[in-house]
Amino acid sequence: MADEKRTLSPMDRVWNFFTSVKLAIVTLIVLAATSILGTIIEQNQPPEKYHQVYEDWAFAILDRLNMFDMYHSMWFLLMLVLFTVNLSCCTIDRFPRMLKVVRNPRTKLDENLEKTLSLSDRWKKKGTLSEWAGKYAETLSASFAKPTVTGTDGQVHLYAETGVASRFGVYVTHLSIIIIFIGAIIGNVAGFKGYVNIPEGESIAKVPVRGGGLMQDLGFTVRCNAFSLETYPSGQPKAYKSDLSVLEGGREVLRKTIVVNDPLQYKGIWFYQSSYGQAGGATAQVTVSRKDGTPTGAIALAPNEPVPIDGYGIVRGVNYDQNFQGNGPALHVVVEKPGKPSASFWLLQARPDLDRQRNDSVIFSFGGLSSKMFTGLQVAKDPGVNIVWLGCALMVIGLIMAFFLSHQRVWVRLAQGTDGRVEVVLAGAASRNRLAFEKRFEKLQTGVKAVEK
Amino acid sequence: MSNVILFNLTTVLFGVASALYLGALYAKNDKISGVGTWVCVLAAVVSTAALGVRWYESYQMGIGRIPVTNLYESLVFFAWAVNLFYLIVERKYRNRTFGAFVMPIAFFTMLFAVYNDSSIQPLVPALQSYWLHAHVITCFVGYAAFAVSAGVALMYLLKSKQEAAKINTGVVGLLPACKVLDDIVYRAIIWGFPFLTAGIITGAAWANYAWGTYWSWDPKETWSLIVWLVYAAFLHARVTRGWHGKRAAILSIVGFLATIMCYLGVNLVLSGLHSYGGG
Repeated sequence: MADEKRTLSPMDRVWNFFTSVKLAIVTLIVLAATSILGTIIEQNQPPEKYHQVYEDWAFAILDRLNMFDMYHSMWFLLMLVLFTVNLSCCTIDRFPRMLKVVRNPRTKLDENLEKTLSLSDRWKKKGTLSEWAGKYAETLSASFAKPTVTGTDGQVHLYAETGVASRFGVYVTHLSIIIIFIGAIIGNVAGFKGYVNIPEGESIAKVPVRGGGLMQDLGFTVRCNAFSLETYPSGQPKAYKSDLSVLEGGREVLRKTIVVNDPLQYKGIWFYQSSYGQAGGATAQVTVSRKDGTPTGAIALAPNEPVPIDGYGIVRGVNYDQNFQGNGPALHVVVEKPGKPSASFWLLQARPDLDRQRNDSVIFSFGGLSSKMFTGLQVAKDPGVNIVWLGCALMVIGLIMAFFLSHQRVWVRLAQGTDGRVEVVLAGAASRNRLAFEKRFEKLQTGVKAVEK
Repeated sequence: MSNVILFNLTTVLFGVASALYLGALYAKNDKISGVGTWVCVLAAVVSTAALGVRWYESYQMGIGRIPVTNLYESLVFFAWAVNLFYLIVERKYRNRTFGAFVMPIAFFTMLFAVYNDSSIQPLVPALQSYWLHAHVITCFVGYAAFAVSAGVALMYLLKSKQEAAKINTGVVGLLPACKVLDDIVYRAIIWGFPFLTAGIITGAAWANYAWGTYWSWDPKETWSLIVWLVYAAFLHARVTRGWHGKRAAILSIVGFLATIMCYLGVNLVLSGLHSYGGG
């Protein structure tokens, strides 16, 4: 049995399995195909939602297979591990060989090499070997690359190459994937992701971490000073703005108004504008002034909460109408003065002077409803993210090296012919984009041949 | 809006070019496809002008933004890029039969665009970012390259069937040799792949700047990864014995179908964070 496959040791077979490109193709296709599932089955929804969609038995199977969080499941992770092992083994297997070839290029054009090259030409020149070697070396330097010159038993060999980097492209790309994975792992282990709502005027120092219910101590305090929403004339949202302060030991150390796409960063922790809403009920804004018109202040009336006014009485907001008898927004208030029957009347937002008609010592005017807002912030710390970006940059560089550079090699062999003339052989090869190289070679050929003494 | 009129004109020109290329193939007349080329060149000029006018008009409206931010704009930008890519391939390979397989893609894209809202709307807060430009442009240049590749891959499958049977007559006989087609399928992908990669990366960078996560496995992200994986498989297939040729051509077509799913299907069928797509 001389069959090569049968003589392989088990170790070699395992190694061959993990270094095969076929495994890479299959893994890539299987990863692509299984990834589809997670886009059809909505991920990370509450169980009730799945029960609405799936029968109990289907739910049980899908749940067992971790299909509701498949991208973080053991089996998906194992496929990524297989992918990475395959990638690493291929690199370990092929990189040293490639490096050896690059470091020790075949600088001599022997008969065997010449046979494998499709681009070659030969001619004869009168003169001496060294004379022509010098001339051709000059021409190659000028129009291609500086050649290495080796002389052996009556022959001179010139060898020049460009675009060696092209050979490294594939390894840079593969390495970049591993670097991205390392960055992602660091981010997962040493970082956190959270979400927090902060009402206007309030502060937080801890953030609930996503998935787990743990609280992450920030090590400082973040206060939301104000939230505002800007709209286009059409009513579509234009900007969500949160005025945030970072406090350490009660002292403000940083203040920034953040919007979507412009987060706040402090000590490696990032705060992103993500959501907003109303915090608690609305209050009615009412300004108070004396009969002669001098203002005495503004009050905020919560529904049915009595607010005392010095030397006057107690005022309560009891009702609100968006369009009171066709007159627009209005507030219904009740005033109680000591020892007098309570008075009840409406204040129109559109007519701040209306209350003068009551002819009382104090005049109220309604400025509209105002509600306290909260801002919703994504909070993230990811110490691995810059490693991920490094990997991404390397990936693009690697792809460009691999696809758009070409390792081009040119050989010239000069030998003393029997007729006293110098026999010249010119040959070339390119690792990729042979069509383009053919044209370059033709040009070089004409150039070199045209060289005169 | 004058930009929409220009885009409608582009649609007509793409339709005429497609018909000319198909007719030329049917009639085996290269003069007809020569006219097709000039129609494509005219369409390139008109659609480029249309994009410029639309950009200018958005400033006149006080909105002022690049015209690649909703479904309509992404469709017309995609068709614009496909046409340009096609013209490069045609010029480089001096063969006009590709037009019959590639230009209909641009034409149907424009037809689909016509049925979508073409008004210029202001940007919602999530899209107000400089990353938008880099992200959308890189993605769609990649998609356009994949469209060209898939069209030529289809030609390859037709031609290889005929070459295997050693026939060289009929319409398919006019197509370039399998070797040439295989080369174009590959070449279009080595342009598309780095652009798609850059598109995914700029998308991740943007997501990280807007939400604090560069990857959240949302359906759009996942589908872009699926597309990337299919083309990565293609690139490896091409250097593996038993996998190049026909299988690689099939992978190119599968890759483009995945691209369409990523681009349109996710928005029309699945839910996610991306804004265009009738939402």
